[in-house]
Amino acid sequence: MTAAAPAAAAPGILAVRGLVKTYAGSTVPAVNGLDFSVQAGEIFGLLGPNGAGKTTAISVCCTLLRPTAGTAVLCGIDTARRPAEARRQFGLAPQDVALYPTLTALENLRYFGRLYGLAGPRLEQRIGECLAEVGLADSGDKRVAAFSGGMKRRANLAAAILHAPRVLFLDEPTAGVDAQSRNVIFGHLEALRRGGTTIVYTTHYMEEAEQLCDRVAIMDHGVVVADGPPRELIARFDGCASLEEAFLRLTGTHLRD
Amino acid sequence: MRTFRATIVKELLELRRDRAGLMVLLAMPMALVLIVSLVQDNVMQATGDTAIRVLFVDEDHGRLASSLAERLRAERGLELVESAADAPLTRAAAQAAVRRGAYQFLLVAAPGTTDAFVAGVEDQIVAAFGAAPDETPGPGAALPAPAPAVKGLTLYVDPAVQASLRTAVAGALHHVLIGLELREKSETLAKVLPQRIRAAVADMLPPADGRRAAGSPDPLAAVTPPDIRFSLSPEPLLGLTEAAAVDGPAPMRPTAAQQNVPAWALFGMFFIVVPLSGTIIRERDSGTFRRLMAMPISPAGLLTGKIAAYVIVCVAQCALMLAVGWAILPLLGTSGLVVPLAQWPGVALTAVVAAAAATGFGLLVGTIARSQEQASMFGAVAVVIAAALGGIMVPQYVMPRSMHAISAWSPLAWGLNAFQDIFVRGGSALTAAGWLLRLAGFAALTIGAAVLVLRRRQAGE
Repeated sequence: MTAAAPAAAAPGILAVRGLVKTYAGSTVPAVNGLDFSVQAGEIFGLLGPNGAGKTTAISVCCTLLRPTAGTAVLCGIDTARRPAEARRQFGLAPQDVALYPTLTALENLRYFGRLYGLAGPRLEQRIGECLAEVGLADSGDKRVAAFSGGMKRRANLAAAILHAPRVLFLDEPTAGVDAQSRNVIFGHLEALRRGGTTIVYTTHYMEEAEQLCDRVAIMDHGVVVADGPPRELIARFDGCASLEEAFLRLTGTHLRD
Repeated sequence: MRTFRATIVKELLELRRDRAGLMVLLAMPMALVLIVSLVQDNVMQATGDTAIRVLFVDEDHGRLASSLAERLRAERGLELVESAADAPLTRAAAQAAVRRGAYQFLLVAAPGTTDAFVAGVEDQIVAAFGAAPDETPGPGAALPAPAPAVKGLTLYVDPAVQASLRTAVAGALHHVLIGLELREKSETLAKVLPQRIRAAVADMLPPADGRRAAGSPDPLAAVTPPDIRFSLSPEPLLGLTEAAAVDGPAPMRPTAAQQNVPAWALFGMFFIVVPLSGTIIRERDSGTFRRLMAMPISPAGLLTGKIAAYVIVCVAQCALMLAVGWAILPLLGTSGLVVPLAQWPGVALTAVVAAAAATGFGLLVGTIARSQEQASMFGAVAVVIAAALGGIMVPQYVMPRSMHAISAWSPLAWGLNAFQDIFVRGGSALTAAGWLLRLAGFAALTIGAAVLVLRRRQAGE
């Protein structure tokens, strides 16, 4: 960790309260009374085994899903009631590489930048900055289809920060990338935090969360089973040396297919 | 507006990069229009516009076969082939040519056909006057028994020939034969009639002294029978004028290009469903749609931008196909597409409305389908079915009555009717307004349904 965790009692830049989401045709809620809050300027990790409800929780926070019950308030805006306003506050790097493979990185960023309302020299400047920050300054003219897995992930991240959002949602941003690309991504996330961006981060890699996150919430069966700074969580269990061990103590070792 | 503009640019850029998609969208429909128009042009010509080749074998070598050949050579719709490699055709060689499909028709005049024909005509004429010269039938007398038909002419037909073509050739032959028969009968009548008059007069005249002395000359023997010339023209007297059933001045006679190019252009336009639904599913599967839906943009702008881009492509596609009909078809020796200047606004409006309908359908398929395979299979098959129902492949008027009601619901039928109102019936956008409104309604319905499905998905319902 590189910064001290803000006070947990503060209302937070993102406050999720009693969130329930049941999908059509399902009797079991994907998230069931979820509560957590994220403070401004922190990197917050949302961890959990497969099917724990992480992506559903992020989708509600990003206005992609309407909650069945409860609220997600982002920068003081109820995401369900005022989704259009909420969308101006955050950027999203989805779990998949959400870019057009036949277009170049530049063309992709130009398109998304225009949708964020950027234009002219300001747009070109931001594209240049973002590509440079993720180490793709020399690859802007290449088609995304020709990128390596790591380059795609980095371009995916660049598209999410073009408009300098206050909050950045990252859904497993390092899935399938090599150590070098992961290192570049981490470096960039650190830089964003230093610039005041709040980051909400889901991952299956406990080492990453331990290294990067100020606080984490461990989810299972649609609820938060534990939250706090990684070191505090590790310390809660006797003989635990890592976040991964603490995670397994909390969520069990049986398979979640 | 920025979302709309940015999305149009992005979609067109994506399409430009997708060479296979461009082939599907532009090159393949152009090839389709070209090939189908050429093929259909031959069919249309074969069924009325150009000469049909008929093999002719003359084993008769008589007057009838000779006159028949002469008349058939003069028939505009037929081309008589009487020799192969500078040698007269034999029956066996000609039959083999028809059997292997090299020719579709063979007419054979068997030996003795002329003799049988002449004898048959004489018998008919004589019978018409009565069995014997002194037995002229009076009023109320029974008609003479018809003479047996002369069996010397045989028309061999390739079984693969369409019924309409067979009927057309047989009709043309009957027309010629009736003419020849009429002329032969009139000439025979001219010969027989004076003999009958002479016989009748002889019966009526009494001998000068009431009784002619034995051995005295017959006074009629010195009388020369009148020379009656009587030859009817084989040409029909009653004519039939053909007129186009349209209001106002008659449009030009529709060619294969006028009928086929707009029809197949429409078919090609609706194939936009394959790349469009594909791009929607790719956006959904790649997470791009998720990213877009989390952006501060109007979904309407996004959707209309996408629709506008594909409508532009569809209209360009239609323009290219019409250009193929106008510029390339004549170079290949067939009739080209002709569109008078006054009809261009109607053609353009029809193309835009049909493009919107095709795009709406593609949008709906892309929204509902769960996978690329599902979308491309369902989309393509649905378009082929709608085209078949809509009269693109087989004209609606030849469909069974039960199919007419179903056909009336095909958007391709509406598009085709609108195009035909303009291209073939010489109408305008106003004439085609009913069809255009139906197409526009279909576009609105499909786009509305797609938006509804998207909203439900977005809400996770």
